[in-house]
Amino acid sequence: MGRHRGKWAVLFVSVLLLVAACGGGSGGASADTIKIGVPVPLTGDYASAGEAILNAAKLAAQEINDQGGLLGKKVEVIGQDDQCDSQVGVQAAQKLISQGIVAAVGGYCSSASIPEAGEFAKKDIPFLLDASTNPVLTEKNPGTVFRICGRDDEQGPVAMSFMKDVLKAQTVGIIHDNTTYAKGLAEAARDAAESLGMTVVLFTTITPGEKDFSSTVTAVKRADPDALYFTGYHAEGGLLVKQAWEMGLRAALVVSDANQDPTFLQTAGSAANGVYVTTAPLAEFIPAAQGFVQKYKDTFKAPPGGFSVYEYDAMHVLLDAIKRANSTDPKAIVTALKETKDFPGITGNITFNTQGDRSDKLYMVAVAENGQFQPYMRIVNGQWQKVQ
Amino acid sequence: MKVFLERWLVPLILLVAIAVPPFLSLYPLGVIIGILTFAILGLGLNIVVGYAGLLDLGYAAFFAIGAYTTALLMVKAEASFWAALPVALFLAGVAGVLLGYPVLRLRSDYLAIVTLGFGEIVRITVTNLDFTGGPEGILGIPRPSLFGFRLDSDLSMYYLALALVLIALYFSRQLAFSRLGRAWLSLREDELAAEPVGVPVLRVKLMAFVMGAIWGGLAGAFFAVRVGVINPTSFVFMQSVLVLMVVVIGGMGSLPGVLLGAAAVVGLPELLRSLQDWRFLIFGIALIAMMLLLPEGLWPAPRRRPHPALFAAALEEAPRQWERIQRELKGRPQETGKPLLVVEDLAHRFGGLKAVQGVDFVVPEGQIVSMIGPNGAGKTTVFNTLSGVLKPQEGHILFAGQDIKGLRPHRVAHLGMTRTFQGIRLFGSLEAYENVLLGLYPRQKARVIESLLHTPAQQQEERESLKEALAWLHFVGLGDKAGYLARELSYGDQRRLELARALAARPRLLLLDEPAAGMNPAEKEGFLTLLEKIRELGITVFLIEHDMSLVMGVSDQVLVLDQGRLIAQGTPAQVQADPRVIDAYLGREEEAATPRGV
Amino acid sequence: MVYWQDVVQFAINGLTVGSFYALVALGYTMIYGIIRLINFAHGEIFTTGAYAGWLILTALLGGFLPPYVGIAVALLLAMPLTGLLGVGLARVAYLPLLKAPRLTILITALGASIALQNFFKVAFGAGFKTYPHLLGRLTWTFGGIQLKAEQLVFFLLSLALMALLNAFIFRTPLGMAMRALALDQDAARLMGIPVERVILFTFFVAGGLAAAAGVMYGMYYTQISFFMGFLLGLRAFTAAVLGGIGNIPGAVLGGFLIGILEAFASGYLGGQWKDVVVFAVLIVVLTFRPQGILGERVVERM
Repeated sequence: MGRHRGKWAVLFVSVLLLVAACGGGSGGASADTIKIGVPVPLTGDYASAGEAILNAAKLAAQEINDQGGLLGKKVEVIGQDDQCDSQVGVQAAQKLISQGIVAAVGGYCSSASIPEAGEFAKKDIPFLLDASTNPVLTEKNPGTVFRICGRDDEQGPVAMSFMKDVLKAQTVGIIHDNTTYAKGLAEAARDAAESLGMTVVLFTTITPGEKDFSSTVTAVKRADPDALYFTGYHAEGGLLVKQAWEMGLRAALVVSDANQDPTFLQTAGSAANGVYVTTAPLAEFIPAAQGFVQKYKDTFKAPPGGFSVYEYDAMHVLLDAIKRANSTDPKAIVTALKETKDFPGITGNITFNTQGDRSDKLYMVAVAENGQFQPYMRIVNGQWQKVQ
Repeated sequence: MKVFLERWLVPLILLVAIAVPPFLSLYPLGVIIGILTFAILGLGLNIVVGYAGLLDLGYAAFFAIGAYTTALLMVKAEASFWAALPVALFLAGVAGVLLGYPVLRLRSDYLAIVTLGFGEIVRITVTNLDFTGGPEGILGIPRPSLFGFRLDSDLSMYYLALALVLIALYFSRQLAFSRLGRAWLSLREDELAAEPVGVPVLRVKLMAFVMGAIWGGLAGAFFAVRVGVINPTSFVFMQSVLVLMVVVIGGMGSLPGVLLGAAAVVGLPELLRSLQDWRFLIFGIALIAMMLLLPEGLWPAPRRRPHPALFAAALEEAPRQWERIQRELKGRPQETGKPLLVVEDLAHRFGGLKAVQGVDFVVPEGQIVSMIGPNGAGKTTVFNTLSGVLKPQEGHILFAGQDIKGLRPHRVAHLGMTRTFQGIRLFGSLEAYENVLLGLYPRQKARVIESLLHTPAQQQEERESLKEALAWLHFVGLGDKAGYLARELSYGDQRRLELARALAARPRLLLLDEPAAGMNPAEKEGFLTLLEKIRELGITVFLIEHDMSLVMGVSDQVLVLDQGRLIAQGTPAQVQADPRVIDAYLGREEEAATPRGV
Repeated sequence: MVYWQDVVQFAINGLTVGSFYALVALGYTMIYGIIRLINFAHGEIFTTGAYAGWLILTALLGGFLPPYVGIAVALLLAMPLTGLLGVGLARVAYLPLLKAPRLTILITALGASIALQNFFKVAFGAGFKTYPHLLGRLTWTFGGIQLKAEQLVFFLLSLALMALLNAFIFRTPLGMAMRALALDQDAARLMGIPVERVILFTFFVAGGLAAAAGVMYGMYYTQISFFMGFLLGLRAFTAAVLGGIGNIPGAVLGGFLIGILEAFASGYLGGQWKDVVVFAVLIVVLTFRPQGILGERVVERM
């Protein structure tokens, strides 16, 4: 063994040096492409969502490149796995920075996006969020964060208002899955319900990765709310809806935007019919987005994920800003991004407020019917109205 | 070349570690800081798993406690890092006690699942509590300051990490070569033998958990200020598994191994980053291949030698040291002939089987007393009740006037009664001299803190102990084999080593369980001489033996046990003439004389 | 407020999940019993079964067989296939290491777990796969308590498999060889038992049981992913230890107990405290009975 040991030890030291050398070598930004980083989970529980986001970014880059690129250069999208983990997120962000990105567009779990935002800010690199809805991200904005998706504290009140005004609910139950996103949303919803004069008869938790929620459903049945709001992710959401239906739960079901994923519909099957989802506009609802959806399906042989369209918009907002700045200097891009006004994205016109959030209120309600989400209602002048 | 490497390798690595990083870009620096964080974690778990052999699958809990304590103190109480750090280490240590205490008596595989459960409980609790920030965790943890400078750059964090790794490495090494470290190794090698040798197993285990926890807390505190954000996702079960991989891939108990293991576990997936989806598939396969090719790890723990010059000097001095020990032992106050061990009405059952019942006898000081009897007569059960391995259901055991019934084996050893085992139980991967050093455990005094700091008193004690250990090896004729691993010795040498280990405690009463079994006539002859010498030292001997000529030749008194009862006792001549003995035992001599234990 | 209907309902829910845990726990316990290895890859063996069943049901049958025939075919094919994977794994990764330090083989098992998990990810994608909804949603309701036909079918099927295993271990020469091996490998070898073959066969049986659990799990919850075996494997391992690792009835008891504990904990305390309750009970039980509920105390001979 001793004979081999020295050899292996030497091998490992050289591996280490190699890591150092690789990083050192790629430190300088190469000038022939404009590099854009996409930190998302590519392994673990949320890998599928991460891939759908990365694909959308690639699609947007391809479109620009097909039109001859930007500032005379090709756009290159670099994905890095953050595993939804804060330490890995820091490493992913640093890796992207050392690969010479001029901007980052992505993020999924807020738990990873928050430290990533800190890393990017150190180099003044703008970070456009497509899916991380935690309010902290823009409330403690270092000035480089822009958010294309909505915020948890906007979605919660919309859901509760829908339950009270449209579903005529007096009592509500709220279930989250104890992740940063779901818990924040659930708490915002609870506060909204109370201020609207409804009674929260059940506020409980499930665990991500879990499959059997029959006992939670039993507890819901015992509390007997008029409407139930689930704020967790799609895998669990589909199962919860299915099991609630099978156990004859009476309450109207409303789920959060993380559930607008094919997995939710496939898992719940016919039980999904009539389930409401609070969401920012989905690609499928927007006539302008049909081209995107089709192109995505053609390119990747799979339907886009719930946040693909936001990633796609974020990419175009960024590319537009780079064009206006006429520079790939991150600081110049940030300045140009702040000046973005009524950019015609497929999720609506995009303008950022001073915090870096979108100035328009995004959320609406859709309903699941026959294996699809259909637009249902939105608030117009303080009143719920059917979407045509 | 080899000498050159041995002398210059460490300074060279250190020089590279200090001089090269300023030229690295952010990303490789970040990866290296990640490796260093895991190195601290690995060094801590190495104490628990590598030294003490306790499988801990919930180690991330201590990492979490260190990180959360630091983060909460710095963010909510605005304490400085240097004020928060000791609190974090303290609380992690306390958590080590909380985990350690209930699980001390569990066997290793149960220990694995219980520690896993503990890790999950800690993680779920911090997720569910409000003051820990719930799933969102704690944001905005400031960087530490040093001499008025904030360690803002990653380079400065790298140097902090390097310093912490060196500290953790230093103390890990101090512990390895100390009374406590040796006790941990004995647990890993053979827990059941360690206790009768005199190692207080439960306390030593607890110390392993506490020390490991403190290292984990240190890594956690650093992690919190380095990343600036902590949340429960960093402390999942997989994290504990990764730390375990660091230790096993590197080579259990090996300090350079931990560093290599950390480089492999953190560095390899980073190297494979460009492979995207395939990287963890390849990582998994690489892990299997690595273990198949190098089951002992990348850098197996080296043989443990004290300083060569010290060792040679002690070896040289062994014969003179032996003279001194002989004088000291002969000078001990003795009451020859007075009862040293009194056993009254001893009874022990295994389920419904009465292994021993109504046994009364006395072992007078200064004599050699033998116990004989057919197989299954209950002889070893008597020994086990005397040495505390079993607690007898009835009866009294008085040793030197003190009731020792039900005392833990290590207490019995401390009182001056040590033993050997029927099937030899040495600490196989430790060297001969270390086996004997462990026998000295009851007589050593170094406390935990002294083991950690290597105080002058501790160093003095270690030097004296080494001299004495080698002297005892010299006495049993193994002086030239002190550096062999116990498992490399021949059968007869292993018996003698076990004897030396039992003698090193300088017992008043020595229990020998079939010491001559399997010896050839020449070895038996040598053993008889040794036995006579031991008696001359004033050490009382109580032995179980099947070899009648040996028993009748050397014993002052013989006890005969049959079916759990004492059927005769007296001088060899008396016993040989006793009709009950002839009837019950000697009448069946053929059976009794068949070789056993094969 | 405690209602008896809820208590019964929780018990039903718990027994359903518990039967999956029990089938997987049997694998942990058998493999531990025979080579003292905590086979961390066993959760992924379960995943393999689920994917095998999914492939058979969707790709091969396409739904033109009657549902119950389809399920039977899926089970009968997935079980031996998965069993063979277990055998291959043991042959390549475990058998050569039987004499190495015990933690070495544990790390190999972890490596196998990581490799298999990511193999499924690369092969089938990171997303969830959906089992065809083959079974009708027949549900009996009495006094506010729901019992789904699926629950009953899968529960009874699990019990049947466990009974079969029991008969196999205690009534056949091969089963006897397995028990002999568990007691003393060296003695068994001396008695002429082909040790390696019996070990491999144990992996085959353990893989088959896990596959059965995987297929049923897939049909019951309809949602499978490359990640599914991790959590379930952890729970099943806990079940095996709670019941007394190495002990066959212990694994079954542990599985059902954990299922029921989880059901009550999520119903009364909320899902977030479920694992805390399970592990706390485990720690308390092991503190008072270090060998697990049905495990036998190991007496070491000095």
